[in-house]
Amino acid sequence: MDSRSEFQDLVHQYLDSLYNYAHVLARRDAEDLLQESLARAYGGFPAFDRSQSFRPWIFTIMRNVQIDRLRRRRLQAPEQPLEHEKEAEPVASLDNPLCSIPLAPEDILLRRETVEQVREAIRHLPPLLREIVELRDIEGLSYREIATIVSRPVGTVMSRLYRGRNLLRTYLVEPRERPGEKGIGVRNDGL
Amino acid sequence: MMDCSTAKSKLFPYVDGELTPEARGEIEAHVARCGACRRLLDLEVAFREAYVDRLRPDPAPEPVRERVTALLGELGQGRRGARRQRRFTRSVVGGVGAALLIVVGLGAGMALQSHLGTRTTLAELADAAVEQHQKLVRDLLPPDIKDVPPKAAEEWFKKRLAFNVNLPDLKTERLRFLGGRISHLREVEVAALEYEVDGNNVSLFIIPEDAYRKLRLKDKPRFKVVSHRGYDVVIWRSQGAGYTIVSEIGDRACLMCHAPDEKLEPLPRPSAHL
Ligand SMILES: [Zn+2]
Repeated sequence: MDSRSEFQDLVHQYLDSLYNYAHVLARRDAEDLLQESLARAYGGFPAFDRSQSFRPWIFTIMRNVQIDRLRRRRLQAPEQPLEHEKEAEPVASLDNPLCSIPLAPEDILLRRETVEQVREAIRHLPPLLREIVELRDIEGLSYREIATIVSRPVGTVMSRLYRGRNLLRTYLVEPRERPGEKGIGVRNDGL
Repeated sequence: MMDCSTAKSKLFPYVDGELTPEARGEIEAHVARCGACRRLLDLEVAFREAYVDRLRPDPAPEPVRERVTALLGELGQGRRGARRQRRFTRSVVGGVGAALLIVVGLGAGMALQSHLGTRTTLAELADAAVEQHQKLVRDLLPPDIKDVPPKAAEEWFKKRLAFNVNLPDLKTERLRFLGGRISHLREVEVAALEYEVDGNNVSLFIIPEDAYRKLRLKDKPRFKVVSHRGYDVVIWRSQGAGYTIVSEIGDRACLMCHAPDEKLEPLPRPSAHL
């Protein structure tokens, strides 16, 4: 198979994932971001190491394209995952856990939420946490792959994942605590 | 022997399959003896089976699929495609991704021509403008600035664009300024403005004068009108910039710049149907 057909097949195979991640990064600009990322990825595809996975590779490109777009626009829309990156945040590691007890999902199981309700709650997570939860729990990428995509240490990924999942659980047990809805009771950073 | 708090802290990495075999073994040894931790682990696994494993990325909408398919079809097609692809890459290296928008907008049948430096035709400008208009109306391109008077938006654009951006004053209440963004038509950075005229969406694109000059339009008539994909596109030049209006309401869009009671020369009939 030539390189072009190979690229086309991979894009078709992962189109939902690509569009989904573009939406996480750029919201209503998702399609523009997707198109620009595909062009850049196609240009770099001959150098793509075929022993690696396609999604982490093209997600990394997409995220860089989005950073360039924001820079170009010199104006960052609020609530995009790329925004608050410079802030100090807690970092976890396998040996030095950040928080020791994840919230047990017992109540959620008892409430018999639908999968779509869980999906919807993920959409309400603060952008930085949502990005990691999507990449891990929806795309199924490894900590290391995610760390490469977001160019942060694995510990940061673990910490965001931890906070994201716990916050998600509080949303599901107390749906009114989601930001943007009535009765905001949870800090936006998930701490 | 691992203690409970260490075991709990490794619960996520454990179910995520991120632990080394040795660490996995320690967790398993712990939960084999500790009912509380085993129960946490069981719940975690149940939650995963009930929800997490069944989560899927949101499907890409059908129109997006179609446009991506068209875009992929344009990539490196045959000999002509090889040339296109080079342009394509070059334009992206140049830092402007808007080219893609045009590739998709023009569809697979039309050659991707006049990219860099070469001349853009009126048809291409109209096509790109209509495409952007549709995206603006459908909220696919969010505004950079909104809820401000046109003068404030004008100041905002003047700080960011290297040409003379003049926003029309609102001469009638029938006209409402919705917002604006820096956008791209073909490869050119433009001010894209959204208005509402009598409840109809109207987009105004202000383009640099040299980009307007590349269209090589005659001086007369002053307003060029084309009808494209069901939209009315009016193009003219004023005070060091080119202006393009896209609407579905023909010369009622002139309310953008002219008061309702102003006596206007009738617009020329569409000079082209594209
Ligand atoms: Zn225990």
